[in-house]
Amino acid sequence: MSKKIDERLPREIGEGVLPNHASIQSPWGKLMSYHDAAHYCQRYTAVVSAAVMQAFRILVPDYTDRSRLLCENAYNRLWYAQHNIPGYRENVMDNDLNVHPFCAGNFTGGLTGDAGDDGLLMCGRVNDFGSYRVEKELDVCYWDIVGSELCRSTTQSLQACADSFAEKRHKGPKLEYHMVEAKGCGDRHCRIVAESREKFPMPEHEIWECFGPVATEDQIKYTTEDYTVRESMVFREECNYKFCNGTCKEDDSTSLYGPYVNMTSGCTYLIPAIEQLIQEGKAEESFVNHVLKCVAEAAGKAYFAEEYAKEAFRSVTGAPRDVDDGRLMGAHIEMFLQAMNIPYTIEAFNKDEVIYQIDRTALSCYMGRMCMIYVSYWYGMTKTLVNAMWSLWEEPEGAAENMLRIKIAKKIDKFC
Amino acid sequence: MYQNVYKYDDMKRSEHMAVRETFGWYYFTHQIVEVTGQDSDVFLDEIFANPVANLKPGRARYTTMLNEQAEIIDDVVVFRMEDKRFWVSTLFAFKMLQWFDAHKKERDVAYKNITEQWDMYAVQGPKSRDVINSLTELNVNDQKFFEIRENRIDEIPVKISRAGFTGEKMGFEIYVSPAQGAQIEARLKKAEKEFNGRQVTEFQVMTLTLPAEKGFYYMRDLMHTNPFEVGLEHGIDWNRTFIGREALAEIREKGPEKEMIGFTVDQADVQINHKCFGGPGDPVLKDGEEAGRVSKFTYSFVLDKNIGYILARKGSLKKGDKVMIHGYEAVIADKPFI
Repeated sequence: MSKKIDERLPREIGEGVLPNHASIQSPWGKLMSYHDAAHYCQRYTAVVSAAVMQAFRILVPDYTDRSRLLCENAYNRLWYAQHNIPGYRENVMDNDLNVHPFCAGNFTGGLTGDAGDDGLLMCGRVNDFGSYRVEKELDVCYWDIVGSELCRSTTQSLQACADSFAEKRHKGPKLEYHMVEAKGCGDRHCRIVAESREKFPMPEHEIWECFGPVATEDQIKYTTEDYTVRESMVFREECNYKFCNGTCKEDDSTSLYGPYVNMTSGCTYLIPAIEQLIQEGKAEESFVNHVLKCVAEAAGKAYFAEEYAKEAFRSVTGAPRDVDDGRLMGAHIEMFLQAMNIPYTIEAFNKDEVIYQIDRTALSCYMGRMCMIYVSYWYGMTKTLVNAMWSLWEEPEGAAENMLRIKIAKKIDKFC
Repeated sequence: MYQNVYKYDDMKRSEHMAVRETFGWYYFTHQIVEVTGQDSDVFLDEIFANPVANLKPGRARYTTMLNEQAEIIDDVVVFRMEDKRFWVSTLFAFKMLQWFDAHKKERDVAYKNITEQWDMYAVQGPKSRDVINSLTELNVNDQKFFEIRENRIDEIPVKISRAGFTGEKMGFEIYVSPAQGAQIEARLKKAEKEFNGRQVTEFQVMTLTLPAEKGFYYMRDLMHTNPFEVGLEHGIDWNRTFIGREALAEIREKGPEKEMIGFTVDQADVQINHKCFGGPGDPVLKDGEEAGRVSKFTYSFVLDKNIGYILARKGSLKKGDKVMIHGYEAVIADKPFI
């Protein structure tokens, strides 16, 4: 095969002709705005996370066991990061979130949750923020398709941040973070309420039961449909396109990349829990990989299963009618990689083959197993977006160690 | 039905009312940036809108810090500790140090964040002077507002500043080494009984209910405003240069486009979003048109009603006007509220 790179029109988008756009581009010159790309990332990684959750459900069939593991892992992981990355906690508290020195106790954990939500385009509002009670309400949650176990565990990552923050401040009330409503369970909002048990007593419960009801049900401020928002502050005119929290942390949309788009998804909760299963000898690594691969392939096949999905894809990417080969799948991958700001190079892009080299670390977000999941997922997609004669696989020959080299081409496999 | 998070909360009410009726004390450590050097006074005089080079040692002043567009980027209290040594009390030291770096030029000035060296306890309310006198070696009877003095409590060296964020005529702040903070706390706890006071533990009482009743600002209220819009233009000495002076003079000439005004809501159990919890604040509608946004919304335990601030289009609202906020009726009111 030729390794030729076909003409990608226009080759330089807008250079010298149009203003340079804050956007990503398909191989055929269709632009996707920065705004749409940011949303696209969130939806895309949520769908992948939903698939990984199904694998996790196979590996740990009991809901309670699964939720407990996810919750404990989330708490411990965030606690570890707060304590073991030099300067991380201090930087977040003092320089980023402006956690004032007199903020005693752990209620300021609400600040990190608030900023994190908005960065993940899960917009809403803080309804209460005090030493004994905090309430945050979300109108949008991209993770609402992943599974309620994930909703539970997000509460625990917040709890870990809050408890860790408290260590660096004067002794004060300890709040217990609960998720009272969850869009992932069909509620209108996600709602976290943190309460001091000293002031608002409740029966003790296990870590995974950090799901409402709470003692202060009568203080909950429920935002009705007509007052809800769809966009994060960085995309809202009324906010001057800036996120601004109660302690004057201010960010624009450039802040979305880094900690949010690239570093946080449902998978960043699920994969560490799966790794824990393996480390504790509760699951065989080969079986784990087998399950992940099976689930990801099936999810990928479902992505473009209907003909209208393929039509929509052509519309979004501007794929010419006569292109019906591996380049379609290549375009899909490129749009995703660009939207995620993941470095990649194009080795071949023609009617016979498409080859990319992708930065493994950026793609996997330091979770090596994610590369295998993406390859399986994209393999499945190739079967329906193109057709069953086409395949996608890793072909590492000639690639640097940190580069994932994938090839899309026709392939006969009697054992696929 | 949603319940007001202040009105029915006996803890918040008793902490708040202790400050208004007897005394309340609380851990209220701010960040301190210490500025030293031969040019420290000249440097700070250029940094802040209000003059600080004319402060006498031992005195302090509240001032805004502006950017070149005359937007308020911090509001602080500057203490002149010695002739060439200042303390700047802020809640945004990280940004302040970057700002200082950008404007230091070749001056003989040094600055550092010394927050970890000092804890601060606020003692506020009508009986606060009696409380302080019962603790300190030297009485504070003749200590003036915004004056800071060396003193001792049980042989522990402290600095006592007469100041506060509650609007109380009598209010003091005790600066002490963190190593001895626990001893100061123990003494203050003991004083609770003698002077019928109590500890304030609720962040919302320290930063919202007490200051709002008296019309005080938290920096979130002030972001992207200028001193003329929020009534902080007093005390600016125009016969000197300071960052933002040119833009501010233009605003003075043209008049501000916005103004910060007060409002009350009689209905107890309402949901109104405000900037001090983040976001843009709810729109304020006058005759169906947006006149401004809610900057702060909290509760006056003295008036027993909801109070707040609106950053409004200049002249669009006047005292007594009825407006709609998130579907609730509010009335434009004088600020301070008490």
